[in-house]
Amino acid sequence: MIELTNDALQFSFPAVHPGARLHIDFQRTLRIPDDGRDYPLPPGLGRFPLRHVDDVAGHVPAVWLEHGGVMLPMSQAEALWLSFSGPPLEDRGTAWPCAIRIATGKIDAVTGKPWVSGLDRGPQNYLVHPGQPWLDGYCVERGVIRQFVAMPLGEGYTAEEQLTGRGEHGGIQVQVFPMKRAAFERRFPPRPPRPAKVKSAMLSRSLGAAACAAPMEMGLAAGGRMRQEIYADRFELSDWDLEQGSRVFVHLTNSVVWQAITGQAPPGRPPTAADYGRAGLPWFDYYDEARQPVPGSELLRRLRSVLELGAARGSAPLPENDAAPPGRVVRLPDRRVREWR
Amino acid sequence: MPENFGDFVRHRREMLRAGDPRFSVRQVAARVGLEPSYLSKIERGEQPPPSEESIRALAGDLGIDPDLLLALAGKVGSDLQKIILKRPQLFAELLRDLRHLPDHAVLRLVREVRDGKW
Repeated sequence: MIELTNDALQFSFPAVHPGARLHIDFQRTLRIPDDGRDYPLPPGLGRFPLRHVDDVAGHVPAVWLEHGGVMLPMSQAEALWLSFSGPPLEDRGTAWPCAIRIATGKIDAVTGKPWVSGLDRGPQNYLVHPGQPWLDGYCVERGVIRQFVAMPLGEGYTAEEQLTGRGEHGGIQVQVFPMKRAAFERRFPPRPPRPAKVKSAMLSRSLGAAACAAPMEMGLAAGGRMRQEIYADRFELSDWDLEQGSRVFVHLTNSVVWQAITGQAPPGRPPTAADYGRAGLPWFDYYDEARQPVPGSELLRRLRSVLELGAARGSAPLPENDAAPPGRVVRLPDRRVREWR
Repeated sequence: MPENFGDFVRHRREMLRAGDPRFSVRQVAARVGLEPSYLSKIERGEQPPPSEESIRALAGDLGIDPDLLLALAGKVGSDLQKIILKRPQLFAELLRDLRHLPDHAVLRLVREVRDGKW
């Protein structure tokens, strides 16, 4: 089952184990420049708000209600990343492992293939948590992603429109499969408990109000390049419980429309990458040297970024794309806090 | 686990301080924006619990559920107050009806994110 709590999706699989849980939220962040450089990981600036589409049934397209799920507000050219976490099972030394599939406009963000339910290994079409704490974009090369950037659906920028020729679905699709109980018991036998880790204190920041008028539905397109590895699954495909999957359709609505239909102001615009760097604030790097990254997707590598496509059309869809050489880069070995809220 | 607000905060902070010196009274107070002497008095029960904002900051710093800490302080979060005040009779009746239900029955009331046809 999936609950919506504090602007996060809480997946739980009580039929597998009470501890089989995964938490996914959508982090606001800087849009990294699309200038050919490979950037480190930008920070998290707090969660995007989430609402059940059923709560605003009179104000959203009928197809959204058919899809069900939740919605969040994005402005044109705004970026996001997905944050994955799960409660640790103290006597096992791990959170319950989950296989996570992410697609945008029903295009798989890891393989670039059209959405088909379930897990595959040829090539691997999912992420594994723990071990993969976040996803920032499309897996275009081994160790490199192109950042998720929101663009209005119907203008041809989104990954979906480039790969299928149609802007039919938009949004983000998420599907989660827990590890089977028997596989978990075999792989993670009980061990003496260790003291719980303490969450770091977090700092909040938000900038001025968003100002953007555009069509209602947004989709995700390819932005600048970032160093991020998508790790190969170190378990067996048969370890995943394919009968217990849960999925959710996350609709992306234009920020101005969001305010009109929910009565709530959307989050402010994040700072530009250049302003952030000038303020001396940190960027992040995260590698797990014990794990093997998957190769990038040839399909996704061929995506044209928002900047390239805009330039070819003689327009400039990305404001403030100045190079922003990151000053301070914090290496995150194990302490995976990357959020400023 | 202590049920008194001050004892609970001190117990949790001391437990964390055993593994990390950043959880001294002085450093916790600085991070959550309180005077160290004030936090110390709160822990000893010589001062009542602080404002909701400070309680939430303390909960964040000490890794405690903010609703639990607010309840120990005898407070209901302003977000919950707003929800209740919108439909006070309905929620009062609902809570009275639920008070004797076991946890598993209450948990069955949670609202799931609805999945439809994609």
